[in-house]
Amino acid sequence: MPDDPSFTSRRRFLQWSAVAVPALAAAGAPASGQAPSADDRPTFFSASEWAFLRAAAARLIPADALGPGALEAGVPEFIDRQMATPWAEGRLWYMQGPFVPDAPPTLGWQMRLTPRDVYRLGIAAADGWTQDRHGRVFAELDPAAQDGVLQAFESGKARFEQVPAAIFFAMLLGNVREGFFSDPVHGGNRGLAGWKLIGFPGARADFMDWVERDVAYPLPPVSLSGQRG
Amino acid sequence: MKRRWPLQRLKRLLIGLVVLGALGFLAVLGYAFWPTHTRAIAAPASAADAALIERGRYLALAGDCTACHTAPGGKPFAGGLALASPIGAIYSTNITPDRRTGIGGYSLDQFDRALRHGIRADGASLYPAMPFPSYARLTDEDVRALYAYFLHGVVPVAQADRSPDIPWPLSMRWPLALWRKTFAPSPDAVAFDPKRYPDERVARGAYLVQGAGHCGSCHTPRALTLQERALDESGAQYLAGNQIIDGWNAINLRGNPADGLGRWSEQDIVETLRTGRNPHAAVVGSPMADVTVHSMQHLADADLHAIAAYLKTLPPVPGAGPGFAANDATAKALQAGINDSRGAELYVDNCAGCHRTDAKGYSRVFPAIAGNPTVLAREPDSLVRLILGGSSMPATVAAPSALGMPGFGWRLGDAEVAALASYLRSQWGNQAPPVASGLVARIRAEMPGENHASEEAAHAR
Ligand code: HEC
Ligand code: HEC
Ligand code: HEC
Repeated sequence: MPDDPSFTSRRRFLQWSAVAVPALAAAGAPASGQAPSADDRPTFFSASEWAFLRAAAARLIPADALGPGALEAGVPEFIDRQMATPWAEGRLWYMQGPFVPDAPPTLGWQMRLTPRDVYRLGIAAADGWTQDRHGRVFAELDPAAQDGVLQAFESGKARFEQVPAAIFFAMLLGNVREGFFSDPVHGGNRGLAGWKLIGFPGARADFMDWVERDVAYPLPPVSLSGQRG
Repeated sequence: MKRRWPLQRLKRLLIGLVVLGALGFLAVLGYAFWPTHTRAIAAPASAADAALIERGRYLALAGDCTACHTAPGGKPFAGGLALASPIGAIYSTNITPDRRTGIGGYSLDQFDRALRHGIRADGASLYPAMPFPSYARLTDEDVRALYAYFLHGVVPVAQADRSPDIPWPLSMRWPLALWRKTFAPSPDAVAFDPKRYPDERVARGAYLVQGAGHCGSCHTPRALTLQERALDESGAQYLAGNQIIDGWNAINLRGNPADGLGRWSEQDIVETLRTGRNPHAAVVGSPMADVTVHSMQHLADADLHAIAAYLKTLPPVPGAGPGFAANDATAKALQAGINDSRGAELYVDNCAGCHRTDAKGYSRVFPAIAGNPTVLAREPDSLVRLILGGSSMPATVAAPSALGMPGFGWRLGDAEVAALASYLRSQWGNQAPPVASGLVARIRAEMPGENHASEEAAHAR
């Protein structure tokens, strides 16, 4: 074989294919569509934090007649996995001063706290606040009471010491949505529940058969891992 | 009562057997060591003649000498490429004109004995990894041209040959002489006779395919004793394919309409040899990609047409084999959203984006799967290996884009690959036997780690 890089077709192909699955490579997702069961032990959250997260997720996107909710779709698992990413350590953001809390949102994150800190401090404050008001932690309240508490967080009526309740709530809600609608390779959207709900076909890459036909797309969604919903 | 051997008779018998054995062994050794007489060919008027050297250069391309005699990253023709064998690697030799380490000191006769007879300058036999049984067909004139090229047209490189990694006693070369004398054709016996062919063009094609091109060394089935079952069209197994080379099936090149080239036009074959692709098929895997890149793409148009014309004269291998009868039922079902088997689901989810639900692909970009001989081959090894690990088209001068197919081994389990491959072989009019998941497991185990689906990724349901 002559000394020409184009002949090492096999090796080159492997490099190529790494680019060809960019969504996966870019997200740094594990190459397995592992979907652990709901009682899998979290790696970042403590047992009490985990109980809060599961209870809150179940209220933000509840299971109903339309299908599974965030809890059934593995959203807490998704958030737990996100805690191990550079994002959770604030490494994707500019994290030095000045910190101007009332700057417009277009100027980006204005806190010293990383997402990990927001969850750690936020859940502790949330359970503390709930304990004060209701005599029990969030996970032990009934759903109606939980909804009321979440509304207090969202509106900022609840006051936390170290992290504003509204910021904590916004991050939680955003992550719950992401977990419900992102590819199952990231741990959430289990059984492709989120995609089935909204009729998103997923990573099939080809819809040529369906353009200009004016019929509903009939196929179930498919994950990057190849799993079908 | 027990019958006993009378001791005297037993002794005599044993001695007799030992003597016979020894005599037999001596006879075998004698056969092996008896020197092979070869006809010396006349030297050209001038070996340094420019036209002769140029002809030799072209023949070296047609013969793909570089495929084996140039190591990756090595100097041209300096040898050192490892060729794997079950008993240890063999290394190709330095065939540059360096006098000390190459073949600079070879006479025309010594060169001829290596090239067409498989005999080294010191009289020992070559491993048939060097395709001398094919080169035996080269004419005297072409041997002279190759000699002129390798002695005067190639840059000498001082690089010592590496002896094979084969341990003694397996490394002894005399058994190779037995093989050579029993199975390798004598050049005079197989001297090329153009009159056997209908016209000059087909004859030229036959000469290139059987001789320099040594297509049969990969595409012709071999006997248990490893010789090719036929060296030209006189044998029905000539170029009948289903030989696994480095994991890829060198397909049937005869007229079989499904797993052979029966439905390919002459132009299709020419385009494949020139560019590694044609409107409905692409070369997959390294062995044929190397042939395309190092050898075939450099040949003259007339020669590629001659090769194609010759291949088109080969009748199908007799007997029932894989079939193809174009049928749009599969495409219609898929286009109506009907995925009624795991194979159909896997095809739609993983493959149809490029190969389309009609399995016709996009001409010259993504090959067709309907009626494709690589899909329909009796031995489905290439199909399985391709699904697991992917492949990319050879980049050639006329078609430099190395369009690729990703591997799916990381996300499909063995049973899924088997279901998908079986689906491919039974839809759109394709008719070939199903693929067993055991074969997938075996091929996966031979491949490097990237292709291993984790348990969880294999959604066997
Ligand atoms: C498929 C691989 C392959 C191809 C193609 C090939 N060779 Fe070889 N060749 C070998 C190997 C391997 C050896 C050494 C075998 C051995 O050590 O027994 C060899 C040995 C030789 C030798 C003997 C060298 C010596 O040192 O005594 C010559 C001469 C030679 N090849 C010439 C050629 C020429 C000319 C071509 C092209 C027309 C060619 N070969 C194509 C594999 C190949
Ligand atoms: C080193 C081994 C090797 C040699 C030598 C070789 N081939 Fe092949 N060939 C293969 C393999 C392996 C395949 C299977 C590739 C595929 O299925 O696409 C193949 C496939 C082909 C195909 C079909 C390609 C396609 O798109 O499906 C043609 C045509 C062909 N060879 C012609 C030839 C001719 C003509 C020669 C001699 C000049 C030759 N081959 C020599 C290994 C070889
Ligand atoms: C990104 C586009 C793409 C996808 C997706 C894809 N392929 Fe391919 N396929 C190609 C290309 C490009 C080639 C030619 C590769 C080569 O020549 O080395 C090819 C070659 C083939 C061939 C060999 C055709 C021939 O002429 O020898 C088969 C069979 C095949 N693909 C089957 C599949 C299957 C099964 C899947 C799904 C698991 C699949 N492909 C997914 C692009 C694709």
